[in-house]
Amino acid sequence: MVADYAPLLLLFAIAIVIALVMVGGSWLLGPRRPTPAKQSSYECGITPVGSARERFPIHFYLTAMLFIIFDVEVAFLYPFFVILRELPAEVRTFAMGIVGVFTLLLIVGFLYEWKKGALDWEDPIERRRLQPTAEPNPQPALQPVSGEQ
Amino acid sequence: MESVPLSAYLTLSAFLFAVGAVGVVIKRNPIVIFMCIELMLNAANLTFLAFAKHQPTLQAQVAGHVFVLFVIGVAAAEVAVGLGIITVMFRLRENIDIDQVNLMRE
Amino acid sequence: MAERLLFFLLALIVVSTAVGVVTNRNPVRSALLLVANFFSLALLYFLLSAQFLGVLQIIVYAGAIMVLFLFVIMLLNLGSPEPATFSEQGYRRPLAWLIALGMFALLVSQALVVAGTPPAQADPQVGTARTIGYALFTEWSFAVVVVGVLLTVGVIGSILLARRRSA
Repeated sequence: MVADYAPLLLLFAIAIVIALVMVGGSWLLGPRRPTPAKQSSYECGITPVGSARERFPIHFYLTAMLFIIFDVEVAFLYPFFVILRELPAEVRTFAMGIVGVFTLLLIVGFLYEWKKGALDWEDPIERRRLQPTAEPNPQPALQPVSGEQ
Repeated sequence: MESVPLSAYLTLSAFLFAVGAVGVVIKRNPIVIFMCIELMLNAANLTFLAFAKHQPTLQAQVAGHVFVLFVIGVAAAEVAVGLGIITVMFRLRENIDIDQVNLMRE
Repeated sequence: MAERLLFFLLALIVVSTAVGVVTNRNPVRSALLLVANFFSLALLYFLLSAQFLGVLQIIVYAGAIMVLFLFVIMLLNLGSPEPATFSEQGYRRPLAWLIALGMFALLVSQALVVAGTPPAQADPQVGTARTIGYALFTEWSFAVVVVGVLLTVGVIGSILLARRRSA
């Protein structure tokens, strides 16, 4: 059984060896003349600003969370579409009904998140948080800008 | 070819489960406690698959695999809601020490 | 022999990373060790002839769930090591050891019950998406729908929690 995966293991082994040789080789053979510029962290050539430990907007969390849920839902749907054509006719109808219910639930969740604006990157609630003086409704404040166009 | 005995897998999963349980008790960061719960869930998954391999019929073997799939699904939902609760907790009070969370008691 | 060697290697990684997750004081390091743990567990699933679940373990656990953990650590700025304040709660350590040893002893005693089980050969079809799909949508179809409900509740619940701020 392990023999079936021998090529895969070989690939892993080669990848590890290559990575070790590249990192270890440059560590062994490369000259080391550190300057302050070389020592600073790499930020695409720009001088680093602030700490890396900043608080992220909550949108990142929400997007990742929704991704996980739909990831698992796809994991459940995937085996169905693998066997769809091989199922006997009466079992197929039943299985399609089950998948239909499952997908309906998925769509309900999706519509909810769409309607609640979880997919909009700039939603009004997030904007309200950025302005601590609690405006009753931030929408009208933006109205004149779009009205002038 | 000599295969790995069932008891070896079970011992490994028992160890994983015990480590996860210790983590849940001694850790104070709720996120690390969550990670320890994931360890325990994975120990259960390993047991399911180890037993599944040693079942006589194909149907019984597949049942173990299906259960693992369900555990993965439940874990995903649990992580999503649980981490949401942690963010709310943190928003209510900046301190997130698990021993000081007693909102339900008040 | 190759299978046993691979098992012991992977078991070593699994055990050491699991201990590392618990003993490390830095949550980010714990999370990264947990990724290594999940990955080697996925390889163990391959050894148990569960290819589909092994791949799923890597995609869902090592990929998605760990990203979410790291996001929350960054989001809440919990990346700093937790202070060593176990001293004020001295009963915890012994309690934890008691739980750990008791649980381990109990589970291993159960493992010894099945020690004589002959090494079964899994059906070559067992771990494929095809077999799992057939079982999922015939024998376990009701459970699939229940999981669908659970995932929908997960979506709604976490959106509600994340947007509490408006209230």
